[in-house]
Amino acid sequence: MKFLKNKFAAVNWKKEARLLPGYIIVTAWVVFTFVLLGWVVCASFSTTQEIFAGEATKLPTGLHFENYMKAWKYSNVSEFFMNSLGYSIVSCIALIVVCAPAAYVLARYTFLGNKLIQTGFASAMGIPVIMIILPLFGIISQMGVLQDVTSNKVVLVLLYIGINVPYTTIFLTTFFANISRTYEEAAAIDGCPPTKTFWQIMFPMAQSGLVTVTIFNFINIWNEYFISLIIASRNETKPVAVGLYGMINSMKYTGDWSGMFAAVVIVFLPTFILYLFLSEKIIGGVTGGIKG
Amino acid sequence: MKKNKGMIVLFLAPAVLFFLVIFVYPILRTALMTFFKIEGVTDAIGLWQFVGLENYIKLLNTSLFRTAMANLGKIWLMGGAIVLSLSLLFGVIITSGIRFKKFFRAVIYLPNIVSAVALATMWLQYVYNPQYGLFKTFFSAIGLDAIANIPWTDGDHKFMALLIAYCFGMVGYHMLIWTSGIERISPDYYEAAYIDGAHKIHQFRYITLPLLKGVFKTNVTMWSVSCVGFFVWSQLFSTVTAETSTITPMVYMYMQMFGAGNTMTERNAGLAAAIGVVLSICVVIVFTLSNVLLKDDDLEF
Repeated sequence: MKFLKNKFAAVNWKKEARLLPGYIIVTAWVVFTFVLLGWVVCASFSTTQEIFAGEATKLPTGLHFENYMKAWKYSNVSEFFMNSLGYSIVSCIALIVVCAPAAYVLARYTFLGNKLIQTGFASAMGIPVIMIILPLFGIISQMGVLQDVTSNKVVLVLLYIGINVPYTTIFLTTFFANISRTYEEAAAIDGCPPTKTFWQIMFPMAQSGLVTVTIFNFINIWNEYFISLIIASRNETKPVAVGLYGMINSMKYTGDWSGMFAAVVIVFLPTFILYLFLSEKIIGGVTGGIKG
Repeated sequence: MKKNKGMIVLFLAPAVLFFLVIFVYPILRTALMTFFKIEGVTDAIGLWQFVGLENYIKLLNTSLFRTAMANLGKIWLMGGAIVLSLSLLFGVIITSGIRFKKFFRAVIYLPNIVSAVALATMWLQYVYNPQYGLFKTFFSAIGLDAIANIPWTDGDHKFMALLIAYCFGMVGYHMLIWTSGIERISPDYYEAAYIDGAHKIHQFRYITLPLLKGVFKTNVTMWSVSCVGFFVWSQLFSTVTAETSTITPMVYMYMQMFGAGNTMTERNAGLAAAIGVVLSICVVIVFTLSNVLLKDDDLEF
């Protein structure tokens, strides 16, 4: 009780009153966000008739899990979902294997072209995808890989990796630059070769940076739309974002609104769950990648 | 540190290779393509027909492309004003010492991690729905029938609806950029100002704003980069192909190259490439302008 009282007394009411307008503004925004997401979740459990009667949040006939079953089974959502999951996981792992060593070398060694590579990577982050997609599409369709499901998937993953290489490398370069050199010096004195030093000492030490950038890449790849739309034209290779777009279009004819909202929830659920547990890391990652 | 050439090359090679294949080569080829008439994207360079600047001239004389550029300009300017000021306001509130700061920050950023297709669907099928939509029910509940009855998704209001929904999704990201800048400003400045009797608004005007110039530049650059890639929202908000109220250059290019039934112009990949170059030039212009207009002072903080 005493603790509570102290805590209560610790609230500086004068200060809080001064901040009141601020509280009102952000609370209004937050409430709107919750209503938006909350309603969609409710609608995904109700029926189309209830949605149109404006009773989606009351759920008068209970929870309709079958919306999810229908979306998952009959609308190919399971296929899209598994595709996206595969693409994201494979690309994220490959990005770390490709970018972590490069970032380490860029952060630690001075050599001709170091600055050039870093500038090139940094500018690539501002290049519109429209500037690179035509030749890429040209090469890919010329190779004839779009006819085969497996090679289509491989090409997509390679594109996801390539697109995210500049951001991942720049992010990790900053991260490695901030780790003290003393560890490598000690390892060098003990006769440990630099390559081994990197994989056994520096790589594990960079863990938190690697995790942050991986979450980020996962979300980016999960939500990627334009490239997938062009390269993944068949159902067997479509990721969720493109698949959902197709579903929404067909829904216009079948009129299954609740099923569509269920599909929407399935699509945003994975990134949402990641965010629920790792929002602090994600938020740190946003500002870590950009220099003010 | 001892140099180790073999290791440097080995460690860099995969990343640089990806960079060359995915960025450098396509950028150069796209730039080159703009000067040729190209029947198909897969055509070898030998089949290209040199036309000089004709693609650019043709593009600028296409009314649909001009509409698309105008839409993009409107999104950039109006949306930019809304998003950057709103996100700055949120950034200031978040860093003003309120409670539950982390919670508020996390929820405001939340829309950014949701797939744009899912988010746009929520707005279209829920918020703007004329029967059970959020705007409809909310504004009729508080008696503002005039707003409640706005047909958000009809031709006249669609652009506005698109802009509002897009801004909602972008505010969180820019708020984070602002907050990272605000948090770097030393509290000593505010203390000194407080002792001298400057109230909150003055502190904001004379300390926070001038010190945020660099962050403002970052915000403008990031906003321009995301605007140029404006595609998903537009595609979802337009019910027919080539809807003029929501078309953007990227949608136009997509229809040109990949879309079904591109009857509007002849098939020419050079024309599509020119769109890419025009957009890239826009980004470079904005970037250069903001660097020139907002010169970094010697101010270090």
